[in-house]
Amino acid sequence: MTKKQKDPDIQAPNRRDFFKKTAFLSASLIASSSILAPIKITASSLDDPAIIDQASWGTKLGDLVDKNHYGLPSPYEHNNVRRVHDLLSSGDRYATVSMSPLHQQEGIITPNGLFFNRSHSGTTQVDPHKFRLMIHGLLDKPLVLTLEELKRYPSESRIHFIECPANGSTGWRGPQFDNLQFVKGMMSSAEWTGVPLKVVLKELGLHKNAKWMLAEGSDNSEMARSIPIEKVLDDAMLVWGQNGEPLRAEQGYPVRLLLPGWEGNLNVKWLKRLEFSSKPWHSKEETSKYTMLQKNGKAINYFWPMEVNSIITSPCPEVPWSSLKKGDIIEITGLAWSGRGTIKTVDISLDGGKNWIEASLKGLVLPKSWTRFSYIIKWDAKEKMLLSRAIDDSGHIQPSINKLIENVGVEGIYHRNPIVGWFVSNKGEVKNAHVRS
Amino acid sequence: MHMFALKQKSFALILGSCMLLASYTSASTNVVLKKNVDGSVIYPRTNTHYSLYLLNKQNISEFNHGRAPTLNEIKAWNKDVMPDGEGLPQGQGSVEQGDELYSAQCLSCHGDFGAGGSGYPTLTGGQGSLKNQLLQAGDEPPMRTIGSYWPYASTLFWYIQSSMPFNNPKSLSNDETYALVAYLLSVNEIEIEGIELEDDYVLTKEKFLKIKMPNVDGFYPVSPERSDLKEQRPPLAQGTRCMKNCKSSNIVFIKNEITGFDPKISTIKDLAKIKNKSKNAAEKEIYSQSCAACHSNDALGAPVLGDKIAWSEVLKKGVKLVYKNAIDGINAMPPRGGNMDLSDKDLENLIDYMIKVSK
Repeated sequence: MTKKQKDPDIQAPNRRDFFKKTAFLSASLIASSSILAPIKITASSLDDPAIIDQASWGTKLGDLVDKNHYGLPSPYEHNNVRRVHDLLSSGDRYATVSMSPLHQQEGIITPNGLFFNRSHSGTTQVDPHKFRLMIHGLLDKPLVLTLEELKRYPSESRIHFIECPANGSTGWRGPQFDNLQFVKGMMSSAEWTGVPLKVVLKELGLHKNAKWMLAEGSDNSEMARSIPIEKVLDDAMLVWGQNGEPLRAEQGYPVRLLLPGWEGNLNVKWLKRLEFSSKPWHSKEETSKYTMLQKNGKAINYFWPMEVNSIITSPCPEVPWSSLKKGDIIEITGLAWSGRGTIKTVDISLDGGKNWIEASLKGLVLPKSWTRFSYIIKWDAKEKMLLSRAIDDSGHIQPSINKLIENVGVEGIYHRNPIVGWFVSNKGEVKNAHVRS
Repeated sequence: MHMFALKQKSFALILGSCMLLASYTSASTNVVLKKNVDGSVIYPRTNTHYSLYLLNKQNISEFNHGRAPTLNEIKAWNKDVMPDGEGLPQGQGSVEQGDELYSAQCLSCHGDFGAGGSGYPTLTGGQGSLKNQLLQAGDEPPMRTIGSYWPYASTLFWYIQSSMPFNNPKSLSNDETYALVAYLLSVNEIEIEGIELEDDYVLTKEKFLKIKMPNVDGFYPVSPERSDLKEQRPPLAQGTRCMKNCKSSNIVFIKNEITGFDPKISTIKDLAKIKNKSKNAAEKEIYSQSCAACHSNDALGAPVLGDKIAWSEVLKKGVKLVYKNAIDGINAMPPRGGNMDLSDKDLENLIDYMIKVSK
């Protein structure tokens, strides 16, 4: 279908035609050619057919403008997708997680179709007409809201990441997955739109002894978590918008709770009920799961914030440096984030942690949000062990792997945030590796 | 414990708006930020700003949206059960009744006596294992089960009634839930007030309130007044910011390569081959929604899609009976696979499809 088409003006590369045609060619092309040597405009091996040949898409009509009522990525990008692995599921693909392709993620917003998806009993489809949010318990005026009524509150939009506390948990005993997607893909970021919970609660007469709030989902698993009142009255939100459109079903359509910076599972999806009490509930997902067993056999429950963390996203095993030539200038870039505050500093090491350099932060630097960092090097075709170390404004510094294990052992599953990175071979191949002292 | 050593001290000055920007843009500032119970920074909300975000300045707060729920509505949704028994309904059930229910509705996923085995959670065993650390191959890992790990039986009652069985939740009565709790305590050898839970033991609300789970003290406590909470939520480990000639280290590589990613890992940018529009698309969709949870895993006892031997065995009784069993339910399979929206015709088409794929 795509016969190679060439510009008739530069198609015939023989000497007789040359002088005839130079009159039509641009001055700059002549300046770059030698009159003495017979120049071959198209036959030279230096010419890039992608420039010289007519592109097939430039000579025919494109798709109809209304081909897709909901737009789709370029068909060439069909590998930019979420992925699953049965090692990470609990028995089937309902209670499992799909990992976001962070290696192809740009900036600090994840496209909605690539947002990681963790569910405890499948993606529920809630009828927005039958959606009700009930707020009751220790307050003067219990409340029921329809979706339409909830959306009458003045909205605010915030950019926050959501991360499963098990992100990176396959690394407790050593490196396992040789790709960024499964090393850190249990997180994504969006601009969320909704109303701060404290705005809704302000007129409901919350009682003084209302110290905890239960947030419960309406799905098959009725995911429920206890939230301390301090977070509820700080930055918690009820959100219905995700990157400018209604929440995706995978993210809790029509309404989820947003607790900026806290464990993903606390951001209860398909929200149904908020109850206030003087005590926590000890729901299944805050006792049997999402609790951290320590070396002494005791476990920590009610540990909420995702701790300061960072990862280099380029290079990474999926995006290696194998096509670089010695001397090429290349950027090391990645993401830093903290559920405890705002990223202040990211340091980079090229030698496995012996020496460190402060990287530049790029773009928006927002609280409890992904923050981009950047450091540019000249590729010397020598082995490197790349590491990144983030510091936030709460004063928290990413620990070494050894320091974290020394404190909590290897059986805590959740909240693993040590300094990690990638080994780069002298050929530019990139591998997952840990630095241990 | 050293991990809690970094205590969050002073809940310092409320920041004025003039100090707002300085508090998170300047690395050299000595402003002490106000912190929350989780150790995170509290960014003040002024009339114009929340951190770098601008706010509506009108400051209107009386909205009066929505209505009060009725008492029946609250009752219908307020089904949670708390450790002190708040929310626990009246009812009763025996270990024996629980055993029957378990065999019919739970065993296919959770195994004999809660021993697990099909990828779904193991419900028994593991007592005394919580200090184990699986550091290298061969080490015994800790086992977190109802008997070894769960601190409160209230969680068990609430979770079973709201979320189990996995493909047919909210179907168990109060009495059935009491019976299942009794059975699960019994197979975990948990006693109530020193009494073993034999087959004829009947669990009631009064007896339930006396249950003390073996690992009730296995968690760092959270008291209502939160004094301990502040000490427990500093970082699990704090790093140091060394910049030059830091401690030298060893590089550890992956020992065993993991494959099996779905889809396969690739960054190739090309035009994927267009798949032929599949036949039986409707049946495939229904199968994946209503049947696959059990019929895709041979550990669950249900004939697995594509398993020729298992399906020829099933068909010995005649396809009519297979239709009927799917409509009425059989053994662990709920009527219509738990999806009451499916018509008889839907189910027949679905079974025809499953037979075809399994020939």
